[in-house]
Amino acid sequence: MAPSASTLVIGSSSGIGFSIARRLRTRGDSIIELPSTLDLTNAEAVGESLRSLVGSGSVDRVVLAAIDPSAFRSAPIVSLTESEWDQAAEYPMRSAFVALQQAHGVLADGGRVILILPTVAATGVAGLVPLCTAVETIRVMAKAVARRWGARSITVNTIEVELAAFMLGDSDAGDTEVTMVPVLGQPALPPASAVDDVIGLIDMLASPAAGAITGALLVADRGTVMQP
Amino acid sequence: MSSLPRLMEGRVVLVTGAAAGVGRGVAAAFGSAGAIVGIGVRRPEAAEETAAAVAATGGTPVILRCDVTDAVQSADAIEQLVRDFGRLDAVVHNAVSGRSSEATDFENTTLDEWEDHASVTVRATWRLAVQAYPHLQKSQGAYLLMSSPAGIEGSERAPFYSAVKAAQRGFVRALAREWGPDHIRVNSVAPLAISPALENMKILEPERVKRIEGLVPLGRLGDPETDIGPPSVFLCSDEARYVTGQTLVVSGGRFTSL
Repeated sequence: MAPSASTLVIGSSSGIGFSIARRLRTRGDSIIELPSTLDLTNAEAVGESLRSLVGSGSVDRVVLAAIDPSAFRSAPIVSLTESEWDQAAEYPMRSAFVALQQAHGVLADGGRVILILPTVAATGVAGLVPLCTAVETIRVMAKAVARRWGARSITVNTIEVELAAFMLGDSDAGDTEVTMVPVLGQPALPPASAVDDVIGLIDMLASPAAGAITGALLVADRGTVMQP
Repeated sequence: MSSLPRLMEGRVVLVTGAAAGVGRGVAAAFGSAGAIVGIGVRRPEAAEETAAAVAATGGTPVILRCDVTDAVQSADAIEQLVRDFGRLDAVVHNAVSGRSSEATDFENTTLDEWEDHASVTVRATWRLAVQAYPHLQKSQGAYLLMSSPAGIEGSERAPFYSAVKAAQRGFVRALAREWGPDHIRVNSVAPLAISPALENMKILEPERVKRIEGLVPLGRLGDPETDIGPPSVFLCSDEARYVTGQTLVVSGGRFTSL
């Protein structure tokens, strides 16, 4: 697939989604983005917006930064109201479903879907139960659709990055809540640009050489969480 | 009928979705281990067989109206057990949506169907934890979620079911860390077992069931009481006092790479 193939980036208003969209646009890729004000749980609105953006064509790649970083908050679950639980855990699940479902309608045969998630669910993090729950849900939802869409040669894979990188993308961490999140472990590798890493993995997954990779999880967290 | 070591003698356990299938088998196993078993069901009249199974194995059955999508009912069920028996040692959340065995047309369905699954398997998982917390903290008890291998590998036919079962695994890992300092253990079991749907399939499509059984190294589907029940009891007992944040796949070897 050529670098200039059309890419739909969902979740591009902040965090790593924003940084990925900016980087792809800067290098000349054809980028399609949904309005930042769109409610991603409104299937009808998302579908209409996509149809107006794509027209009668289709997109070759979908990059879904699947959780809005602004929803992250570290708190014990017993302190959450039902509404707070919904916002932190279930809203991201619903929006991921709607995004995948509606993106499927505009995705070309042989297209590539790449989800970006924070690497928190592999180990679990105290204080982030809703986020860990949402991440694992979306990760397996991606596997399920990878099985469903394989007949159209569509691949669906997930890239996980460190939580701070997911929340901030290229931005400076500064004095944000991300610095308060309990550390899972020390990365094995020195600091590097997570966005660079993710762009490289997106290009790899979008290449013809990756046509047989689907339902996979690629972890780009500098070796912080090494899967058993 | 199983005969287990009395690992839960005098302990009080709530099992949700216990009217049939895995829930009934797990409830009976807890009875065999000596527990007072709260049989959480939407319709109490549907719990008689489970109550008889618990009593037959030597446990004490308590039928509780507990539609887990109703916050008042689940809170009342927990409070009744604590009021009547003075403690709560474990909650086993087994209830699933009535649509869990249906195929989901992911590309064309709506959020209403998602809600059917999420309300029982995601929201109730959180809510039961919150409602049981002070009692489990006091007893240094256990919270056990009945997940599924589908929640690990993803299901083409049942993408919603597999997604909400995955939710429980993410929940278990994180909550085990959060509740570790309280000495409350949080685990899940991913069973491959005979369900009411599979019982029906055995009659209507015996060859299909044989094909499924052929994929299991041990050559059969798990029995809810004698195959799924004992590991569930173990995980809630003091014998598993150092086990938390885990998913135990109980599948006769069907799933070996999860």
